[in-house]
Formats: sequence, structure tokens, C-alpha cells
Amino acid sequence: MRYLIRRTLHAVFLLLGVSLLTFLFSALTPGNYFDEMRLNPQISPETVAALRAQYQLDRPLPVRYARWLNAAVHGQLGFSFAYNSPVAPLLWIRARNTLFLTVTATLLAWLLALPLGVWSAARFGRLPDRVISWTTASLLVIPDLVLALGLLILAVRTGWFPTGGLLSVGFDELSALQKLGDLARHMALPVVALVLATLPMLVRHVRASVAEVLDAPFLRAALGHGIPYPKLLYRYALRAAANPLLSLFGFSIGTLLSGSLLVEVVMSWPGLGPLLLESILARDLYVVIGGVLLSMIFLVGGNLFADFLLYWADPRIRTAASAK
Amino acid sequence: MRKDRPSLRRRCFTLSLLLACASTYALPVKAFPHPQQSNTKEELLALPGEIGRSGGRLIVPLRSEPKTLNPLIAADSSSREVIGAMQADLVHINRATQLTEAALVKSWKISADGLQYTLTLRQGLRFSDGHPLDADDVLFTFRVYLDENVHATQRDLLIVGGKPIAVRKVDAQTLVFQFAKPYGVEERLFDGFAILPRHLLEKPYQEGRLGQLWAPSTPPGEWAGLGPFRLKEYIPGQKLVLERNPYYWKTDAKGNRLPYLEELVFLFVPSADAQVLRFQSGETDIITRLGAENFSALGRQQRGYTMADAGPGLEYNFLFFNLNDLGEKSSADLARKQKWFRDVKFRQAVSAAIDRDAIVRLVYQGRGAALWGPVTPGNRRWVNAAIPHTPRSLDRARTLLKEAGFSWSTVPDGDSALLDPDGKPVEFSILTSSSNADRTKMATLLQDDLKQLGLRVQVVPLEFRSLLDRVTQTKEYDSCLLGLASFDADPNSDLNVWLSNGATHLWNPSQSHPATPWEAEIDRLMEQQLSTPGFDQRKRLYDRVQEILAEDQPMIFLASPDILVGAKNSIANFRPAVLEPYALWNVEQLYFRNSRENASR
Amino acid sequence: MTRPPKPTKWLVVLLLLHGIVAAAGFFAPYDPIEQDRERPYFPPMRIHLIDAHGHLHLRPFFYPLRLREGSFDRYEEDTATTIQLRFLASGARYRLLGVVPARLHLFGTAGSRIYLLGSDAYGRDQLSRILYGGQVSLLAGLLGAGVTLLLGALIGVAAGYFGGWRDELLMRLAELFLALPWLYLLFALRAFLPLAVSPLEAFLLVVVVIGMVGWARPARLVRGVVLSAKERDFVRAARGFGASNLYLLQRHILPETASVVLTQAAILVPQFVLAEMTLSFLGLGVPEPTSSWGNLLATLQQYNVLVSYWWMYLPALAIVPFFLGYLSLASALQERASPYKIEEKTNWNLS
Repeated sequence: MRYLIRRTLHAVFLLLGVSLLTFLFSALTPGNYFDEMRLNPQISPETVAALRAQYQLDRPLPVRYARWLNAAVHGQLGFSFAYNSPVAPLLWIRARNTLFLTVTATLLAWLLALPLGVWSAARFGRLPDRVISWTTASLLVIPDLVLALGLLILAVRTGWFPTGGLLSVGFDELSALQKLGDLARHMALPVVALVLATLPMLVRHVRASVAEVLDAPFLRAALGHGIPYPKLLYRYALRAAANPLLSLFGFSIGTLLSGSLLVEVVMSWPGLGPLLLESILARDLYVVIGGVLLSMIFLVGGNLFADFLLYWADPRIRTAASAK
Repeated sequence: MRKDRPSLRRRCFTLSLLLACASTYALPVKAFPHPQQSNTKEELLALPGEIGRSGGRLIVPLRSEPKTLNPLIAADSSSREVIGAMQADLVHINRATQLTEAALVKSWKISADGLQYTLTLRQGLRFSDGHPLDADDVLFTFRVYLDENVHATQRDLLIVGGKPIAVRKVDAQTLVFQFAKPYGVEERLFDGFAILPRHLLEKPYQEGRLGQLWAPSTPPGEWAGLGPFRLKEYIPGQKLVLERNPYYWKTDAKGNRLPYLEELVFLFVPSADAQVLRFQSGETDIITRLGAENFSALGRQQRGYTMADAGPGLEYNFLFFNLNDLGEKSSADLARKQKWFRDVKFRQAVSAAIDRDAIVRLVYQGRGAALWGPVTPGNRRWVNAAIPHTPRSLDRARTLLKEAGFSWSTVPDGDSALLDPDGKPVEFSILTSSSNADRTKMATLLQDDLKQLGLRVQVVPLEFRSLLDRVTQTKEYDSCLLGLASFDADPNSDLNVWLSNGATHLWNPSQSHPATPWEAEIDRLMEQQLSTPGFDQRKRLYDRVQEILAEDQPMIFLASPDILVGAKNSIANFRPAVLEPYALWNVEQLYFRNSRENASR
Repeated sequence: MTRPPKPTKWLVVLLLLHGIVAAAGFFAPYDPIEQDRERPYFPPMRIHLIDAHGHLHLRPFFYPLRLREGSFDRYEEDTATTIQLRFLASGARYRLLGVVPARLHLFGTAGSRIYLLGSDAYGRDQLSRILYGGQVSLLAGLLGAGVTLLLGALIGVAAGYFGGWRDELLMRLAELFLALPWLYLLFALRAFLPLAVSPLEAFLLVVVVIGMVGWARPARLVRGVVLSAKERDFVRAARGFGASNLYLLQRHILPETASVVLTQAAILVPQFVLAEMTLSFLGLGVPEPTSSWGNLLATLQQYNVLVSYWWMYLPALAIVPFFLGYLSLASALQERASPYKIEEKTNWNLS
């Protein structure tokens, strides 16, 4: 329990630190949202100055930070200059779309990686292992961007998949089944791109951990006792190898919001990534801070979750912790 | 990624997509079956042209989400494009003819002294929610635009001769606009001022909430306009759906009420390349703002769509040197370079060394025009055809440099380096926007061109806002490659670029008095044409301005891209123009030849 | 069951590959920034041994390509004349390894330029650009990885060895660093640099900064190793005998971290090469006219390049042997890792 409180306190400090540093960076970066208007011959510099004043961009940094912090404590994440609306709803809708995509992709990647990794470890050094190793290696060397672009070209050439977006324009008129199909077709390419990008790393980790455990004396002994091999693999070896994998899983959860930026941008998925990139370029400060904090919460939460999983799964850690 | 041309000049005019015919064709027609029968006669505007068929849904890509549906504060191009399809103005500029036409007013009269404009509204018009339009709405609209607390982006356009325009109501249909000084632009001024519904906005205005009103997520019931389409649905990050405005005030030649389309969907597709993909796979119906390379890639594999080259647009790309007088703040390095930059011979030599044809060929694949002045061939009425199109000549460049006291050294490697009159090597950097591939490409070509003169040039691509900060705020740069696109053909749209006290007089903005005689001369000519009525006289003055600019080269004009668009073959009445919004300016007349094809989507 | 690990084999392969890139001037036929404005998007030319009349030639030769009538980028072979390929020909000036001035190239032609791998939008030789681009990209990769590892190892050892509040502080800091929006910092950095700094120097500076902020991950790994190493019996024994911190670190702890650090190095170098590509994507990469693998690949984002000019994909292929080399090296190193792996991992996760 004390551990939990300590972790939460850490998280709060972390969020404070991140928001402060983001504010600082934003002050260091030249230009602000209203600069683009300066290039418009029809808008006078006075109007631009008035707008800046209206959004309090002319105030000193500490004042702005204090005001923002005060609002944030009361659940208001500030106001977007570009969208002229509060930040929270803006972020929420896009975060939902991102999660929709990444949760699916992460689950799929793990469901594929576990059997592939175990199989590869069980046939260590033999043909299946080599095939899997080389496939994952070649997937690793293809940059995500090239992968995503390749999938897009496939979509254009074949016409099997839409080339971006979340739903078709006529979505509302479809039947429930068609709606599901439409969603699946739109999700197919980004999900595949994400799975292909994360799968090789996962498979390699699973393979490495399981292979190491398979070498351990207790499993050799178990094999000697005549426990069937598949049962041995999935029941005992995987469980013993679970430790590093659980922390990896925590990491997967941590990157749910931030890991898909490139794919979202390339495949025009209406998620958090394109919004954040746009906001950074447009100097839409509070949207950036809100987005960063949101991904930060996921990162911290993911690590925390992994710790609890470890605690639950590994008797050694449980004893060590209670001894403390 | 997000925008392909962030440095296009920000036009604050809302672009209403209205008439297709000259005002002489505009005849009031008899009222015909109307959703809500009214007693007053409706004075609708009949458009000539192909008679279409009703129905269908047009899907148009939008580079970024519209930030607001509020015409008062809209500053980004996406918002303006959307608002253009939802709102209407009193007098409108026909994007094809580049001339004005009656829109919400049926006629206007300008007094002999040019100070009083009398406008007469059409009768019986209604907002998209069925509420009637009258002179009070117009009065309210201009009061709001002029209110300093509203911070309307277009406010400055309504200040003529240092004083705001005064608006007065004569009767329910008639208004008088009073100017402090004659205004050469005349009725073009009214284009882009969306007439707002007083019945919805007066209360928020009094409560001071007008600036926050009409975000895209506004419930359709709280929104009303006079444009061909009205708000239906907004899904953040995905699309904005507009539906046909049943009260729209235009008909076709047979008296069918426009628009033909049942729905207009703006799909948010963030990058230029993603837009091409969507168009090619048939998910969108129209594509605009195409780069030449994508244009030819699409043209090579046509599948049920047609690509069209509407000719050079109004965008002009140019290189300019930092001619700011920075006084004490100036670094020694910049001060040394500014000695060259201020020498007109140096600027002329750089201009002579540039291979403009290569720019048009390699950057625009031949779909563009080389420029020697600020007015592009696309602006047919105002371009000064007498400006010489001098071809590239390294010899002339060398002669000019020699005259200015520059010399060359021989380096062991064999390349000779240009030395300034003090014997120092000539090196400078060119800023470009890293998000604009075309301009970065131009800078790379320039770099190679100038290398042959012995000039060492570094291209520094900066993210757009950082670039703006350097050029407009800190003024720490050598030279910069930018582009501007006039929103209108009239020279007044670029007034603040040419006036020496203008904030967008990029090479040396906001001067208290003109730094050079030729800038003083341009100031005089531009001020004069501002209050001179009549096209011919104004053209003569503006021709002279173009000559001075071509001679003194404060900006070295490079090239102008063609307006390239594409549309599905099934879309009829598609007539792209070189003015924004290139393809949608006559959206009320667009229709699908085969309505079944669309119903199935 | 485990085979003897062979990191040396991969090390040799990698050295060879890097050697080719380092001597790009010799292997590349042309100056990578030399434009040929008459030949944009020139397709790769085919090497012939048999001419159009069926005669066999001993010396490989090319047919020049000419622009198809009315087209911007479509070419066809002109069989009227031939261009002879010459080996060890004298050509454009360059500096071997950045020092020795030379003119000797592996191959060249007497007349018209040849494009073995085609040309880009400015008519620059793609082969030369790939070779020279490797110099920039690999330098960025090695530099970035070096900075990251140095910082990461220092902080990781400090945190793991001293423990307590110092450990706590450093690890919290690591979490902070993992989460910050570095894009902001990069924009700020690039915008603040004086323009007089050459774009390449500016880019390398950006790489160093990314390297500096990337220490968090290796630091956590190193810390884990140090944590387990310092609890091992012989270390405890040495401490019991009064060994100093410095001695313990030098003698027992740092050697333990070597394998983790080396493995991380082999993983990080390709990652930094990829980061360079992402930077190009965001407009923060190596600016024109200098070539790098990142900006060569970044042109693939353009739809028209993607569908029209297949030879623009070739830089992606050039990267493959390097990445495979590094990857295999990393695996080989990993297989040599200590048998205490499980404990290490549990330790560094229970921070």
C-alpha cells in the first residue's frame, strides 16, 4: 500500500516536471501561433498584438504557467488557439481513436508473438527458428515509414482497402454488419503496419527468454520426468520466462498513445499523433502540453501495471518486497 | 506535412462560392415552390449554364480541419474554404471572370465623388434556418466586424483613409456606406464579408461571447448562413458534413433552386500525398492544390477522373535579401553582407544568374511560368506585359558584379570564388520553409546557379514558424525564399507588401519613412492608385510599380505554379479557376451526371 | 545447445561495409551534388555486352538514353552510339577519407555520364548519392550512439552502484526524459543556431542532442547489471576486504556491464540512422544538397516518386546489409551475455 502511494506521488511529480519543461521548451522555440497572421497583408500588426493579448501570450512565462496549473488542478487543460475551444474534449476524441487502433494492434501482436517466439525457441537453431529469425530481422531493417507507404501503395493498386481514415463517408447509412465490415477494412492497413513494426521485437524477446529458460536445469529435469513437450513449453517454460516479458508488456501499454504517430500520420488516422504534430508546428501550446501529459500518464501507468503484474507473477519478488 | 504551402499569403477574405455569370444576367425570377411559403416576393438570382440534376454527395478533401465556422475570426485556409460554401456576401467576385457581380444585393450605386455607396438588397431572402434577411442583419454584420473587441481578422479592410466605413440603413432593403476617402477598389471591397444572422448572434455579441461562437462542433440549430450549404454534422478528426440549404437564393436558368448537390462532405486528409491517394482510390471526388509531380503521376494512370491545368495562378515565388536597417543591433557579419545586398547591381547580378526555365521545368515539370515581376500571367488584367523577360546570362551577371567592384580569386581546386570589394569571399544563406518541397527545390537549384558565379550559398530549411520569426521579428537572416499568393487579382490585395510602412514589406517592413528613392516612388504610386477610380488609370500607375520592382529587384521573382486540379468524370459543370477556391467556387452548380453511382456510396 | 557465438565474423563484415562507405569517393563515379538538369529522374542504365547488331564486346558498354518526345521524365535507349565503361578511370576530384586528394574512380566513362542506379529530381547520380549519403548517416549513427551510451553508462553505473536517494533521483529523471516532447527542443535548437553554421554541422549537433537526451534507456539497463553485480558473492567479499569503490568499479563492476553496453551499441547505431530518417521526414534532417540515407528515403514520401520511379527505392536496399550486420552482431553479443539475465531483468524493473 505504501508502495502504491509512493508511486502515485512520483507520478504526480513527473507530470509536474513534464508540464514545466514543456512550457519552457515552448518559450525557447521561436514563433507563436499568431505569427502566421503577420504574413497576411490584410491583418494589421495591431490586430495580431490584440489577439496575443487576448490569449495572454504577452504575459511572462511564470504567470502563464501558474494560471495554467491552477486551471489544470480544476480539471481545465487550457484553451486551444487554433481550434478556439477547450483542450480536453479535443484530445479525448482523438485519444479514443488512437487507443482503438493501438489496443487492437498490440493485442494482435502479442497473440502472434507468443506462439511464434515459443516455437522458435523450442526449435532453437533449426529450420523454423532460422526462418523466423530471418523474417523478423528483415522486418526490423525495413523502416516503419517504408512499410506503411508500401501498404498504402498496395491499397491503391488493388483497391481492396481504403487509403486512410476511420470510417467511410456513408457510414451512417450502413447496416450494423456492414458498419463492422467498414470499420475493419479501414483498420486493416494501420493495424498491419503497427503489428509488423512491433512483432519482430516481441518475437525476439519471447524467443530469447524462453530459450534461456529451456536451458535451465529444472526444465531439463521436467523433460526427463516425461512431461509432454507442448505442456512443458506453454505451462512451465513460458511461465518461468514471463518475467522480462511482463515488463515488456508494461512497456507496450505505456506506448499505446505515443507509439503510432508515424503510422497515424501516413495513413491519415484521426488520432492523437497528427493532432500533436500539427499543434507543435502551429505552436498551439496547451494542446501540446495536454497531449504530452496524456501520453505520460499512459507511460507511467504502463510501468506501474507491469510492476504489479511482476509482483503477482513472481514469488521471488513478492518475498523480497514483503521482507522490506 | 500538414500544409504544403504554409507561406501562401493568408487571405482573410472569406471565399464565398457564388455566381457563375456576370451581373447583367442576374434577373430576378418569380417565386417558385418554396419550403416555407412567404408573402414577400423572392428576388432570386438565376444562373445561366448547363441544367443539372439534383441529388448526390460530393466528397472534397481538406488539408487540415476547419478551426472555426465563425467568419469573424477565421484565419486559416481550411476554415475559409468551408465557410465559403456556407456563407454569402453582398457583392461577389466571380472567380472565373475576376469581375464583380451582384450577390445578396441586386444592385449598387457609387456617388460621383466616390464617397457614398448605395446598396439594395434582394427581397424575400432567408437564412438557412428560414429566418428572413433584412438591412438590420447587414448593419449588425458591419458593426460586429468593426468592433475592436471582437478582433475580426478582416476589420482592417474596412478602415479606409484612416477611418472606419460608416453604414446607415435607409429602409428595409437599402443601405448606404459612407467612405472618408475615395476607394479605388470600389465594390470589390464587399467580397468575402459574410452577412451574419442577427437573430442568432446579437445576444452573444452583447455578452461578449462572439469570438468563441461557432466552433465546428456547434449544434446545427445554433448556426445559420446564406450560402448554398448549411451545417449538418461535424466529426472531429474525420469530416464535416454540409447539407443543401433549401432557402438558397440562386436558381438555374430553368428556375430550379440551387444547389444541385444534396450533401457536401469535407473529408480531413492531412497531407498532400494522402490526398492524392484518396483521390486515386475514388474516395474523394475532387482534388485541388496539386503539385505538378503528383499531377502528372495521377495523369499517367487515369481511372475515371480528369485532370485539368487551369493555367498560372496568382502565387509568386521570390528570393529577397535582408535590407532591414538594424542599426546597433546588427551583427558585423550581417552589416558586411548588407553592403552587397543594398547594391542594386548585386541583386541584378543574382537575378541574371538564375535559370528560371530550369525552375519551371524541374520544379513544376513545365506546369508553371517564369516570373520577372510580381504579377503572374494568370492575372490577365493587371500584368505588365512590357517587363522584359531577360534570359539567364552569366556574362551579364559577371559584368554587373565587376561594375559593382567585385572580383574573383582562383582557388587551387580550380573553382573561382567571388570576392567583395574588400576582398572577402561572398557567402550567404537562403532560408526556406522545410515543409514546402517546391521552394526547397528552387533553393537547391539557385544554389547551383550561383555556385557558377563563385558565390557560396547555403540553403537553410527552417520549420515555417521559426522562419517567420527570423524574417518578421528578429530579422537575423541573409536572404529568404518565400511565396505569396494574392487572394484577388486587384493590386490592393498586396498593398502592404509594396508600401514601405507595410508590415509585409518583407525585405524591410514597417519603415517610418522610405529608405530608398525607389521605395518612396512605389509608395507614392500605390497611394495614388488607391484613391484613383477607373481601371485604366490605376493600371498605368500599377504598371510603373511593376517596372520599378523589376528594375530594383528588392525581390528576385522566380516562378509561378499552375493551378492544377482533378475531378471525377461524373461531375458536371466543373470549371476550375485560378482564384481560390479553385474548384469549389461554383459548387452550387456542380452536379453528378449519373446520380445512381453516388447514391450507392 | 547454444552454438559458439561469433561476433567477430559480423564485426569483419561491418568493417568492410563501412570501409566502402568511407572510401565513397573512389567507388562513386561522380560528385554527389553535381546536377544534370537535362536528365531528371533518369532511369538506371543497362550494362550491355552484346550490341544491337548481335556483336559481342569485351568491354561492357551503355547506350545513351534520350528523352521521349513531349515527356518530362520518360527516356528510351538510343542504339546509334555506345558509351564504353572504363575501370579505374580518372574523373571528378574528391578527397579520399576526407584528406588525400584524388581523381581515381573505380569506373567512369569517356563521354556522356552513366547512371547505374538512375538519377534524382535534379539529375544527380543516385549511386554516388547513396555512397556519400552513407558517410553522413553512419557518422550520425555512430556519433549519436556513442554519446547516448557514454551518458547512459555513466548515469546507469552511478545510479546502480551508489543506490539510495541518488538512484531514486536518477531513475525518476530517466522516466522524465523518456516522456518529454523532444520535438519541441529540436525545433528550438535548429531555429536558434546561427545560420552561419553549415547545415551539416547543424545536423550533427542535432544528432548529438538526441544522443544526449536518449541516455535513459541504456542507463536503466546498465543500472540493472550493476545492481546484480554488486550483490554477487565475490564482490561482497572484496568489499569486505576493504576494497575501494574505484577498485570495485574498475575490477568487477564495469567489466560486467561491457556486454550490455556493446549489445546496446549494436542496436543503437541503426536506430540513430533511422532517427535521421524520421528527422528528414520532419524537415530537421540533413539539408540539400548534401545527401544522406534519411533524405534519400524521405523523398519516397512523395506519392509521385513512390509510384513513378522505382529506382528511388534503392537506398532502402543499401541500408539492409548494414542493418543486418548490426542486428546479427547484437544477437551474437547477446548470446554471450551472462547467465544472470533473469535476475538482472527483475531487478531493473522493480525500481
